[in-house]
Amino acid sequence: MHEELLNRAADAVTLAQQAGADAAWATASRRRSVEFSFRDDRLEKVQEAVSRSLGLQLYVAGRYSTHTTTDLVPERLERFIREAVAMTRAIQVDPYRQITDPALFEGRSDLDLDLVDPRLEQLDNSTREEWCRQMVEAGRQHERVISVTSSISSGHGIVVDASSNGFTGTAEGTAIWLSTGVTLQDEGERRPEGAMWAGGRHLEGLPLPREIGSKALSEAVRRLGATTGPTQVATLVVDPRAAGGLLGHLLRPASAALIHQGRSFWADAAHRPLASERLDLTDNPLLVRGLASRRYDGEGIAARVLPIVQAGRVANLYVDTYYGRKTGMAPTTGGSSNLVVTLGERSCDELIAAVGRGIYVTSWLGGNSDTTTGDFSLGFRGHAIENGAVGAPLGEMNVSGNLVELFSNLVEVGNDPWPYSSYLTPTLVFENVQFSGT
Amino acid sequence: MTDPFFNRREFIKLASVGSAALACPGMLAGCSTTPPMDTAMPETPFFEWYDLDRSTLSGLLSELTSRGADIAEIFGQYTRATSISYEDGIINRARSVVDHGVGMRVVVGDQTGYAFTEDLTLPSMLQAARTASTIAHGSAAGAVAPFQVASTANYYPLDQPWSAVGIERKLPLIERVAQQAARLDPAVEKVLIGWVDEEEEVLIADIEGRIFTDTRPMTRLSCTVIARRDGQRQSSSSNIAARHGLAWYTPERLDFVAKQAVERTMALFEARRPPAGEMPLVLAAGASGILLHEAIGHGMEADFNRKGISIYADKIGQPIAPPFVTIVDDGTQPHERGALNVDDEGTPCQRTVLVSNGILTSYMHDKISARHYGVESTGSGRRQSFRHAPLPRMRSTYMENGPHTKEEIITSVRRGILAETFTNGQVQIGAGDFTFYIKNGWLIEDGRLTAPVKDCNIIGNGPEVLRNVTMVADDRTMDTGGWTCGKSGQMVPVSLGLPTVLVSRITVGGENA
Repeated sequence: MHEELLNRAADAVTLAQQAGADAAWATASRRRSVEFSFRDDRLEKVQEAVSRSLGLQLYVAGRYSTHTTTDLVPERLERFIREAVAMTRAIQVDPYRQITDPALFEGRSDLDLDLVDPRLEQLDNSTREEWCRQMVEAGRQHERVISVTSSISSGHGIVVDASSNGFTGTAEGTAIWLSTGVTLQDEGERRPEGAMWAGGRHLEGLPLPREIGSKALSEAVRRLGATTGPTQVATLVVDPRAAGGLLGHLLRPASAALIHQGRSFWADAAHRPLASERLDLTDNPLLVRGLASRRYDGEGIAARVLPIVQAGRVANLYVDTYYGRKTGMAPTTGGSSNLVVTLGERSCDELIAAVGRGIYVTSWLGGNSDTTTGDFSLGFRGHAIENGAVGAPLGEMNVSGNLVELFSNLVEVGNDPWPYSSYLTPTLVFENVQFSGT
Repeated sequence: MTDPFFNRREFIKLASVGSAALACPGMLAGCSTTPPMDTAMPETPFFEWYDLDRSTLSGLLSELTSRGADIAEIFGQYTRATSISYEDGIINRARSVVDHGVGMRVVVGDQTGYAFTEDLTLPSMLQAARTASTIAHGSAAGAVAPFQVASTANYYPLDQPWSAVGIERKLPLIERVAQQAARLDPAVEKVLIGWVDEEEEVLIADIEGRIFTDTRPMTRLSCTVIARRDGQRQSSSSNIAARHGLAWYTPERLDFVAKQAVERTMALFEARRPPAGEMPLVLAAGASGILLHEAIGHGMEADFNRKGISIYADKIGQPIAPPFVTIVDDGTQPHERGALNVDDEGTPCQRTVLVSNGILTSYMHDKISARHYGVESTGSGRRQSFRHAPLPRMRSTYMENGPHTKEEIITSVRRGILAETFTNGQVQIGAGDFTFYIKNGWLIEDGRLTAPVKDCNIIGNGPEVLRNVTMVADDRTMDTGGWTCGKSGQMVPVSLGLPTVLVSRITVGGENA
């Protein structure tokens, strides 16, 4: 399979050059996926497929274009590539756009990232169905249950890259995700939901299906009787599962692209801290079994561990070759991989006990942020923190402010990174946060 | 892999410039007032290129239903899209996409088997049919009726298909928007333009022997402006989308996009965060239809009700809003982004009244829920592509006009917010809590607009907010923005519309000084 994909990519580069491209980069991929979903007492959906595609980046007379096709019939593929080259000639010369300098390919790690679990290939459909059933059974153990849904999805993908200036690379990985959702009948018309999910490159290390179902149920049960709390300024404790979403808002403007366009509040961070000294963030593409691990990025740049924020100050940005040339910054990598947070000393429960009084956010609902100014406003679900413990459930509330101010008020980081995401985020504690409610 | 967490958290998001979304817009031709007309069976690449003739379809359906089926269909898709971007004064990037494949579905009761292939050779398609069929455990469903090509309305005829429009005819339109935006205000530093045109050919052959074909154009143009004033920067954007062709992009329409992007950006320099807490909310006519999409639309998709997990389950026939509130989901508005001649299961689209004079009247049904409830499908079975099984989805959701006027509504508010532009929203189907994010709006004090506001999330509970719709004006407007709705990991294009509406009380995510 690797060889077939490599030949497909190499042939596409050759075809592009024959059609008049000065340089070309091709990406050939193949992915097999299986998804099972189960509701209450039986299978709801089974889906299986093998998927494939071919991507091309073309450099033609100083111009640049990208293309993707799933139609690989030879004569139609040739026509597609000829038309792609012709289309590129119609746009304008862009001196900043050049195929990646081969010097950036150097230093590719030979570490075994262990991204393929051979056990997943052997996982049969009756096991998938049984695990789905176990999740649902564990999720049903409550008199208020209306419906319980579970799912298992898994995949195995291979992506091969080849370029006209000597790059070749193969990336292969597996992944499996299990999830359960529970809906309960509350007093009145509300039907609160609880969810739990877990996933990874390997089966090893995942919780048992029953544990996932039970956790989804307990999440739903603690939503019963949710009310809207008062508008207030208070201490915010963000659960590890929700902290990734918040860091996502902070990191959105961390690219040379947005700095160059004038749409990033990180641009000012050369002159002032971005966050409190408690914040240390590192992009680590070389984590063994990491969900976003890779040995090279989409431009072929060899992957390296990259500090992003150190003691609250910006250490590096995500710089691809195009915006690197436009801004004069050295390329690092075009986008984030695994985000690792330097951990603190205490768990979520210990932090809640230490806070005493405040609001504990368990998940976000909608909301957005402005990458230019850092202003944000997010809906959330959570709980009051009363006497150092998780109290009454809260809903229909927002938290608003400016991301730089919020992260400047980061007072503590937990020791409990969420393992089922490429953002390995622990509990975060912020002071003086504006909440909107009644 | 998509985060399974999103499976039950429905959201809607305005696609932004540079978005990597595979869903592409198409184009326009002719004028937007062209009435729908019947057409003969269009030519599709499925017949021309893939030899997907009647006997092949018949053989695939036999394999698909060999272990039994209540519902089964073959969904073929061929999509061709072009994207173009403008940055730093030049057209700096072009992109083309060809995506084709065939999806096979078998439904037995409420159980679904699904498989797809991008390899359109007979052995691969037969293999996909066999894989999908294994959900069933009975005997063959019986012979498929002889295929008849079914005719449908055409809500989006184009003078010229996008496939016949060369890139050189698109570039001057993009440059015009960029130049126009740059000259509208001296504070404008940079302008980014994104263009997409797309044509999707679909073929649906079902167990009842019907063949539907549909050619679905789409186009989208977006303009993002970055402005600098007194050392401070602001950025905002505008976009338009429709099932239209090149002729839709008149000079006036292009200039409107540029003007709107610049106005939205410049307004941010003056704007402040609104106060935090509960207050009245006036929704401006147009894009405020996002309220309907989140507060009631998703909760009225019949799959959530069939499963008992929607807050609107068991409420058909009950009053849920004041008597001047009528809410519609409509696939038949000519050239709307949410329009469809036929849904993705082979049901001709229609206008579905969800709420009639305050009474809940109908869910949005696909074939599975229609069988469950013993009703006809409302033509709401949609899918992102051949890689997905269809689900009940919204098309174009709007509220009909009411008895009040915009002036009456604004003057009735002592202290509140007027919401004008939005970026995204989300809802929890069971709890009914929903949100949407206001990018631009106004503070209302003593019945007058006094100061621009920005960047606040609104959060409320669907049924409560509908009960609190206390005034509806007579100025219903369809928004022309390129809204894309996500559900269970599938993105589909939708439209929104609303007259000016007053919600008497809702939580505004602001900041108290």
